[in-house]
Amino acid sequence: MKKDKKNSFNTPEGYFESFHDRLKDRIQHEAGEEESIIPKTDGFGVPEHYFETVVPNILSRTTEEKGKVVRLRPKRYFYYGAAAVAAVFILVFSGIWNSGAEPIGFDDLANTEIDTYFDNNRIDMSSYELAEMVSFEDIQLNDILEEDLSGEVILEYLDENVNDLRDLNIEYIDYE
Amino acid sequence: MIAEETLVQELKDKESQAKAFEVLVNTYKERLYWHIRRIVLDHDDADDVLQNTFIKVYRNIDGFKGDGKLYSWMYRIATNESLTFLKQKSKKMGIGDQELKERMVENLEADVYFEGDAIQLKLQKALAELPDKQKLVFTMKYFQEMKYEEISEVLETSVGALKASYHLAVKKIEAYLKAD
Repeated sequence: MKKDKKNSFNTPEGYFESFHDRLKDRIQHEAGEEESIIPKTDGFGVPEHYFETVVPNILSRTTEEKGKVVRLRPKRYFYYGAAAVAAVFILVFSGIWNSGAEPIGFDDLANTEIDTYFDNNRIDMSSYELAEMVSFEDIQLNDILEEDLSGEVILEYLDENVNDLRDLNIEYIDYE
Repeated sequence: MIAEETLVQELKDKESQAKAFEVLVNTYKERLYWHIRRIVLDHDDADDVLQNTFIKVYRNIDGFKGDGKLYSWMYRIATNESLTFLKQKSKKMGIGDQELKERMVENLEADVYFEGDAIQLKLQKALAELPDKQKLVFTMKYFQEMKYEEISEVLETSVGALKASYHLAVKKIEAYLKAD
């Protein structure tokens, strides 16, 4: 078979070298598989050896948990929950009732410090621990307030300040 | 690798619990960390939430009935813990959810544990504009390469709805990245 040696056509420089890549791009484009402009990685890093050090941290927290476990009868369980709610109310509302009327004096120092602490720190105390620290054997919430708290005020407070009802330990729902 | 069913049984048995829990933490720490990190963005926050997630798993393992997969259950706890953490953070700072997300992205620029370039930072800005669910679906599918069936178990949403969410998220992100 004779070859046509009188071919007078030319191609742009590098045409055949880049043909494969251009063909691949066209096939991808027509198949709707155009490469996304979204980056493949998101750029987050972790401190060196983080994944080795986090394990003992978690395991030590479970050991602490074991030490804290106390079996409670349902009635007592509810009592501690209620006492914990009362403790939180006293700490929060005593600050609100006292504020604004008079400048803060020495006697108020403890409350303001406690309020600041609660504002600035994540409190990891459980309701059991709170209940154990503050004794409410013979005291009612309204005994320490100048005005009685109505049910509506309490509900409003709980609605605004409690994210998870389990925090109150009134009702306990497992993750299932 | 230990079978999941065996691991659950060992976790519920007081005798083998400690050892089994260590295996569980070692098996899932990285996957859960990255899932959490992509929600809370900051490493220290992610560390806190990761530890809380495992503690919740430890406390509630007896309530795990085994009718779903263990990792789905753990991912669900991690997701809830992360979202609750952000809610508490915004409340503590006295700002709205959206403002918090914007601040979190702004903070990334000075974050030593964020090595992203300009486009990766822009991606985070785009993600901050998405509704929580769309963002979750996108990161779980795109970065964690989870299957729709797996995401469906975690987020308790149908596969069809997840596909729609993902498609919508991709379109929004691409549009954001293309914009000047």
